Amino acid sequence: MWKLKDAKEIKILGITVKPKNKIYWIEGVTEKGVKDLLNNENSKFRWLRPQRNRRILVILMALGLLLTSMGSYWPTLKTNLNLSTDVSLIVFTVTAIFVIFAMVLGYSFLRIAVRSIADAPDELLDERQIAVRNTSFRYAYRGFETIALVVILLMIIGPEVKMFQPEGNDGSYLMISMLFLGSSLPSMVMAWRERDI
Amino acid sequence: MSRNPEEPVYNRIEEARVALGLSRQDLADKAGVHYQTIGYLEREEYSPSLVLALRIAKSLNQEVSDLFSQTPFKKGK
Repeated sequence: MWKLKDAKEIKILGITVKPKNKIYWIEGVTEKGVKDLLNNENSKFRWLRPQRNRRILVILMALGLLLTSMGSYWPTLKTNLNLSTDVSLIVFTVTAIFVIFAMVLGYSFLRIAVRSIADAPDELLDERQIAVRNTSFRYAYRGFETIALVVILLMIIGPEVKMFQPEGNDGSYLMISMLFLGSSLPSMVMAWRERDI
Repeated sequence: MSRNPEEPVYNRIEEARVALGLSRQDLADKAGVHYQTIGYLEREEYSPSLVLALRIAKSLNQEVSDLFSQTPFKKGK
């Protein structure tokens, strides 16, 4: 198997060549990044690997997604909390920035926790890892489908956000959280299910 | 995670590996897989493809039929 330490430099006819770090644009990973995470000797972020810690991260991520989607229901929440316009604007802005930042951080940690196996291309994984990744995607796809159905129903019959209306709340935060959900669900499924990563 | 839990594949990878004085990482490097995959194989939680079974057998200087079986191995054999 190709090993990270082998890739640092290659000598060809006495000339030392440093191989380029291949970027997989569709998967959003780099060859070096994935190999670094798969390397057993790499102790960085090892604390994220135990299944218990991975599951805590999945729960936090799910809560973050829920909180992000709640942004679409802010007008109702604001009224119920009796906040003035100025205070509500500050609370909303600060919370939105914090939650979006936390989501990006959580998504990055999630990818690290599963060694990018959920995103890596076949050529960087072995056959068991490919099987694990494919199973996670199958579950994630079904999960996403179900959640999307619930969100659509919520937008049709629920309060605040309304689909197919000429004016009104467009559910932007719901859509942002669905985007995050779609990107992170395979890693979340893998982080939750797999005993050893 | 086996390919087919109803048809488990038993193996003697650990026994053969230890006899050669190899670590899981050594065997993983020889067979071209991640070291955790060797752990999954040894615990019989994953059944390898024929290609991987052949690579592991070659790495352990064994025949595939000596390493893998659909019936449990007798201890000490």
